[in-house]
Amino acid sequence: MNRRPEDQPDALRPLVDLAPVADFLRRTLPFQDLPAAELEQVLAALRISYHVHGSTLLADAPEQGLRILRSGAVDLRDRDNTLLDRLGEGESFHLGGLNAGGDEVRAIVIEDALLYLLPDAAYQRLRQRNRPFDRYFSSQRSRRLRRAARYQPAPNTLLQDLRGCMSTDLLTVTPGDSLQTVARAMTARRVSSALVLEGDRLQGIVTDRDLRTRCVAEALPVSTSIAAVMTPAPETIDADSTLFDATLQMTRRGYHHLPVTEDGRLTGMITSSDLILARQDDPVYLVQHISRQDGAEGIRDLLAGLPQLVLQWHQAGMRAQQVGRILTAITDAVTVRLIQLAEAELGPAPAAWCWTAFGSQGRAEQLLGADQDNGMILADDARPEHAPWFAALAHKVCDGLDLCGYPYCQGEVMATTDSWRQPLAQWRETVRRWTDTPTPAAVMRVSIFFDLRAVYGDAGLCAALQDEMLHRASRNSIFLAALAANALDRRPPLGIFRRFVIERDGEHRDAADLKKRGVMPLTDIVRLHALAHCVTAVNTEERLQTLASERHLTIGDSRNLADALHCIQQQRLQQQCQQVLRGAEPDNFLNPRGLPTMAREQLRDAFTIIDQAQAALRLTYRAGLD
Amino acid sequence: MWLALRRLRWARRVAASPLQACWREPLPGRRCDWRALSFLVCDAEMSSLDPRQGELLSLGWVTVAEGAVQLGTARHQLIASEHGVGQSATIHQIHDRELAAASPPAAAMAALLQAAAGKVLVLHHAPLDLAYLNRLSRQLYGASLLLPVVDTLALERAQRERRGSPLTPGALTLQACRAHYGLPDHGAHNALQDALATAELLLAQIARRSAGGRFTLGDLR
Repeated sequence: MNRRPEDQPDALRPLVDLAPVADFLRRTLPFQDLPAAELEQVLAALRISYHVHGSTLLADAPEQGLRILRSGAVDLRDRDNTLLDRLGEGESFHLGGLNAGGDEVRAIVIEDALLYLLPDAAYQRLRQRNRPFDRYFSSQRSRRLRRAARYQPAPNTLLQDLRGCMSTDLLTVTPGDSLQTVARAMTARRVSSALVLEGDRLQGIVTDRDLRTRCVAEALPVSTSIAAVMTPAPETIDADSTLFDATLQMTRRGYHHLPVTEDGRLTGMITSSDLILARQDDPVYLVQHISRQDGAEGIRDLLAGLPQLVLQWHQAGMRAQQVGRILTAITDAVTVRLIQLAEAELGPAPAAWCWTAFGSQGRAEQLLGADQDNGMILADDARPEHAPWFAALAHKVCDGLDLCGYPYCQGEVMATTDSWRQPLAQWRETVRRWTDTPTPAAVMRVSIFFDLRAVYGDAGLCAALQDEMLHRASRNSIFLAALAANALDRRPPLGIFRRFVIERDGEHRDAADLKKRGVMPLTDIVRLHALAHCVTAVNTEERLQTLASERHLTIGDSRNLADALHCIQQQRLQQQCQQVLRGAEPDNFLNPRGLPTMAREQLRDAFTIIDQAQAALRLTYRAGLD
Repeated sequence: MWLALRRLRWARRVAASPLQACWREPLPGRRCDWRALSFLVCDAEMSSLDPRQGELLSLGWVTVAEGAVQLGTARHQLIASEHGVGQSATIHQIHDRELAAASPPAAAMAALLQAAAGKVLVLHHAPLDLAYLNRLSRQLYGASLLLPVVDTLALERAQRERRGSPLTPGALTLQACRAHYGLPDHGAHNALQDALATAELLLAQIARRSAGGRFTLGDLR
């Protein structure tokens, strides 16, 4: 009989004999792309160990290498016990790598865990031999670091050094120059200060204010030499200092000008207006400016630069969920300002009321190109004759939002629609009707209603409505089943990775709509769980955290869904930023063909998680119905 | 002690056999911590539940050493059948055709003994597998295996009885025991995959009972 070598009975054929382990690794990044020969070596090198809840793995343990979670869950914490990351099935960590910076990172088992250890020698060998494998782990590390950064204050422009915003085109004069010469030079150059140099050495500084207080007020002759009025030996600042340092130094001493030196040599000048300009990409600054505008047109002009700002934030490493929160804060500010302007025109409100945001604005998850979803809740003592005031305000605000780049809602979920602008009692009645007789069309139309948040006015009205809604929805299994049907209606485009699913609207034939096929089904799923368990949070991440901490979802499921959302939102953001760079309108369509392999894999993982969550949803809320 | 004495009794008969070579390695000490011990976790598939009628179809094993399953030591041996597979083919998904490429029982047993030297044999529901292995060993070498054995099923049963938890039928199957420790479904059903599943179960059983402290071979029996 002819025997091939792999049929030798005493040899291990890893891919055949260890097929279940191999299959698991093939579902795990980055092992899925390993060539068979390398996967075989990984399999033969693996060691499996079991760790009970509460045990700790340290970086100086004798066994080091890449640990892959086959089951269970692990927290990574640093020296200060700050949670860096929470890992579940299929995720991996390398304590040696995490501790390269001396952070004393350790792993704490939070659910009994079965770990696969790829010993360090084999792991390092593989990283040297396989480029994509190596790249995955170098990028994974930076991802971990960025995740760690989530727990710290957002990066601030105030921490940039001075080189980016100081002026280097300096006006220099000599100590012997007359007042008039210097004043003329300053006027010609349109600057507010001049530096007095002798050779290379900075002798003094003279400013507009000095000319006013020390010269004109004292009636000095214009021929006086500048050395007599300059501030001698001025304080300087090093170019490596931050904008924050400069601001601090100026405000403490009451200066508006600081010469900048590098290695003792004069290289520039920074003024208080430079500092203000430098903060233009700070969203806080933008929000403040919005609140000072006197008309919708002014706000529109301010927002014209918004896509560019998002691009800058993205390039500075800001994550999609932070961008979402900030864009939502800006929308809120625009809304509030438009309401204030309308109130100034219409007079004070005749009754208590609340402007309410729905959908992505409600959840604080807006990206570019969001349309408006809003409504008004009036206090029950609002009388019929008050209706025109509220209607007029709704029209002013919605028109203003449209002008500012938040297009009208196609589904008419807007305060201008009568049924979205009602007294609380009628809202309660509407909720009762929706939950008691849920028709599929109605459920689809109103599902975003359940992501509501007060933006302006009496927040108590919004809270009362949400209370009513949770109370009714959580106890009504028929309504939950209808919501589940809706959540199951939009499937993630898993097929797109094999053959392309075509959005039927024509224009985007080879693309998947990340919003419609990714974000919406995911938020639908999480919203349903939240409603069923009376969770008041509306932000998807907060909902997931509450659901996990109250044990309605496992930590693993909650984490997976949060990661899937981040991944899809990040991809949407990335895509929108590329469109901004090309000068195109930002949208939500993505052609996975153009994606790098890793991003495609991550996106597929994200869609797979949604697909599995949908399957679980079907079992929980629609058992026996489909 | 017992094993050593019994081995002495049979020593002459097994001279110059793989079994003698296996016995030459010192027996693992009862008071040794489990991390310092080596275990050979094994599973056998057979054509009948009755050792007098059936025969071994395949063997799978993997080593647990230094507190971890050493995946590279895994082996799967199909054993040449004298009678064809019959009924159990549907259970074990082994077909006569595949068995044509299998090793003779003597070679499979020799490989097992070589791997088991100096180790503790671990089986889930040991009596059945041991009956087959011992019968084959007696046929080949004139003596039973006389290896130290840990039975993960017996361990689990003893633990539950100590706690007074009632045992429902099926509560001690490999799959059910694994589920009890939160181990993932291992699904498949061949000798090596079951051996691997048993090895992970052993780790979980020890981890829960030892709470990270010392745990000896004596504690396992």
